Amino acid sequence: MKFMVIVKANKDTEAGVMPSTELLAAMGKFNEEMVKAGVMQAGEGLHPTSKGARVKYAGGQSTVSHGPFSPTGDLVCGFWLIETRSLDEAIDWMKRAPFGGGSEIEIRQVFAAEDFGEALTPELREQGERLRAQAGKK
Amino acid sequence: MRFMMLMIPLGYESAPAKLELDPERVAAMMRYNQALKDAGVLITLEGLHPLASGARVKFDTGEPMVVDGPFTEAKEVIGGFWMIEVASRAEAIAWAKQCPASANEMIEIRQVQEMADFSEEVQQAASTFEHPQGGWGKALR
Repeated sequence: MKFMVIVKANKDTEAGVMPSTELLAAMGKFNEEMVKAGVMQAGEGLHPTSKGARVKYAGGQSTVSHGPFSPTGDLVCGFWLIETRSLDEAIDWMKRAPFGGGSEIEIRQVFAAEDFGEALTPELREQGERLRAQAGKK
Repeated sequence: MRFMMLMIPLGYESAPAKLELDPERVAAMMRYNQALKDAGVLITLEGLHPLASGARVKFDTGEPMVVDGPFTEAKEVIGGFWMIEVASRAEAIAWAKQCPASANEMIEIRQVQEMADFSEEVQQAASTFEHPQGGWGKALR
């Protein structure tokens, strides 16, 4: 099963406070462990929402608004994509993440083709697989 | 520059664990994905199961605490994402505007951090690791 681990933003990440060398080293070690265990597929950090934008859709029209966005929602500052046998295994890995107080992560299962049932016709399924294979080569 | 386009369908926070999808909408989204790929900007994309089947790990005190979904306080929940590589933020926005999204949906565009964004000291500390940030499709696959 594939999971996306969403790292929630907090006051520091939204203020653009960069991680300390110690935290970066601890995170590097944690990532190495997950890569060696064959669990980690990707992971990235995101710039604060002050540098981002949102596009909203209504009646065929789209409107763009620029960040920063209010912290009423669930803002994101980074993520991992991991592959484990179960949600419990994903949780076990993430309990070991070197976060201090005030951090929160969310673990969500990634859709696989078989989850879509009949909505995903054989043609669409084939297109999706081809797209992923080609996009991954970039 | 790499950008993450986060799909936030409003109402997804209270979606049931099992989703019913509209085949026509799936097809429209596939055509959009194909356009991103044909333009050479698509790195990867994924869809996420609803929050009802997810979990949160909180580090409020430094010790991990696990809570199972769904969460009543959740307001904006991610339904999926695209990772793209384009020349500018404006180009990323232009792509997001072409998405065949519904009226309740919103795409958030966020720039991905590169090692060059960090201080020299931090870059040095990270260079001792083979996979400091992860990255797509390089050493990891």
